[in-house]
Amino acid sequence: MTATEPTIREQELADLASVDDTEWGVRLLAATPTHEGRDLGLLRQWACRADEFGARLAPVPSAARVVERDGGLESMLLARYTSRPPTVELYTDTLALAEELVDARGWRAWYPPGSVRAAALAHEAVHARLHHGPEKAALKQALGHTVLRLGRHRVAGHVAGAEEVAAHAYARTVCGLGRSPLLLTAALRAVLPRPGREK
Amino acid sequence: MGVVILLVMAAGVALMLARRLPTAFALVLLAVVIAFLAGAPFTGKNSVLDTVLQEGAPTLAATMIAIILGSWLGKLLDETGIAGTLVRKIVEFGGDRPTVVALGVLAVSALVGTVTGSAPAAMLAGIIGIPAMIAVGVPKVTAAGTVLMGIAVGIPFELPLWQFFSTALELPIPTVRGFMEKLFPFALAAALAFVLVETRRRGTEHAWSLKSVDTKPRSRREELGDAPWYALLAPAVPLVLALGFELAIIPSLLAGVLYALVTTTRPGAMNKRLLRTLYGGFEVAAPPIALFIAIGILLAAVKLPGTVDALEPLIKAVSPHNPVAFVLVFTLLVPLCLYRGPLNVFGLGAGIAGVLIATGIYPAVAVLGMATSYNQVFGVADPTSTQTVWSAQYAGVTPQQVMVRTLPYVWAVALGGLCVTAATYL
Repeated sequence: MTATEPTIREQELADLASVDDTEWGVRLLAATPTHEGRDLGLLRQWACRADEFGARLAPVPSAARVVERDGGLESMLLARYTSRPPTVELYTDTLALAEELVDARGWRAWYPPGSVRAAALAHEAVHARLHHGPEKAALKQALGHTVLRLGRHRVAGHVAGAEEVAAHAYARTVCGLGRSPLLLTAALRAVLPRPGREK
Repeated sequence: MGVVILLVMAAGVALMLARRLPTAFALVLLAVVIAFLAGAPFTGKNSVLDTVLQEGAPTLAATMIAIILGSWLGKLLDETGIAGTLVRKIVEFGGDRPTVVALGVLAVSALVGTVTGSAPAAMLAGIIGIPAMIAVGVPKVTAAGTVLMGIAVGIPFELPLWQFFSTALELPIPTVRGFMEKLFPFALAAALAFVLVETRRRGTEHAWSLKSVDTKPRSRREELGDAPWYALLAPAVPLVLALGFELAIIPSLLAGVLYALVTTTRPGAMNKRLLRTLYGGFEVAAPPIALFIAIGILLAAVKLPGTVDALEPLIKAVSPHNPVAFVLVFTLLVPLCLYRGPLNVFGLGAGIAGVLIATGIYPAVAVLGMATSYNQVFGVADPTSTQTVWSAQYAGVTPQQVMVRTLPYVWAVALGGLCVTAATYL
């Protein structure tokens, strides 16, 4: 490790906090396959609508079984929802690192103690709801992406990644977070070694 | 001497399995050793230098040309955004139903599989298809398996493969096509079953992934938009011409290249794009071409009169002739085409097929049935094949996980193909 490396990382993390939550939504969509050639203005519009949609969703209790495990840092995961059987897996090593990072960055006002775990549960609970409930069609309508027009009729298209933006907005709202969980996601990604960068 | 040749073949398989020698080099070495053991002279008629190396190397030349053209078309589908647009449209239309998206990616993979094979085919369909499936909730192993099973649906109609079997087994193209048409329903049924059963069994999966956001904004460099709808027909052009109009393979593939070009490229940019994608296609085609040169050499060695005389009594003694025994034995031997095993058609399996035909143990068309049935397994489940390795790693799982999940389905395809072979040709 060189002497300048921590300085560069500090700078990088400070820069991340200066990016607003909508821009994080745009970056998530931009990194989602199928949006490679999309106009950034359109992605911003979708990110805003998905964020508003997620923030408006009423709180819902999760019926899924919760399993805690480690190995999240290795697989770059914080939580995972599987529908068969309905289970939320929480990766304790990633959650612990997230809490450490919140303290180290002085972001505690945005992410109160234990809020990352609560946000993970809320995030995965809303995935179950968006997957099975009527909100699935409502999100599609809210995004307003038309893929086919036949006279007066139009077919609303799926926007890959929008559900993820909505789930993060929902978690931010119901857990009372000061910033989107996406900022924390980006910060975790920035501090973790990436393939090809390990010593 | 037959026993010694079989032992040498076993040693060759061991070298390939242990990764001591790349498959192509091991096959050439095997061919030369087998030829010497069979008593072939150094030069002259039925010799090591003139027959095995000189005449053997270009045996599969027509296949190599078809491979280059398929790779060229594959590069064009990539560069012009045709493959990406196909997947993007599928996600937009069916994205909130993971099974529909998986079936759509399966269809695109099948289409791509008719044009080109191995890792380039998987990349064409999978670069956008795999993460797109994962994004809509398809579990990772199922996503990787869907692309591979889709390519396997296209394999029976992969024109370069018709050319390969036609030349290697000395069968007319219509005979190869006839069997492939019989194999196709099994491959299609297995692929559909894979998607429907696995998406139902495993359900959906959504992850809060640390890789979901880029810490840096996307650059504003010019990116490809969608290809026009009529350009999306390009992958089907060679197939329609070869299958529907019975046009020869090379002109059919060339027509596909031209169609993809004129529907996506301004006239002023055509020359540049054609050359760039052609040279890119050579790069993609290099590994299979090296393999086909080696297979041609091996085929020449196993067809030498000395080799045939040495192996005939041994192979005859162990080869089942009763149709039921044929199906049972060769179905049980399916795992021998995995891990570059001795029944891998693009390895020693080609040599064994050559021996079976040269010794007259089975009619060539029955060997075709056997080889193509095994190829359906190898093309999907072999953890050492490039398309399986690429798809699995790109999805973030291991090739072994993909093998375990897909093997039952492709084993059933092999069983179907062997049943048709036994019922029709034995």
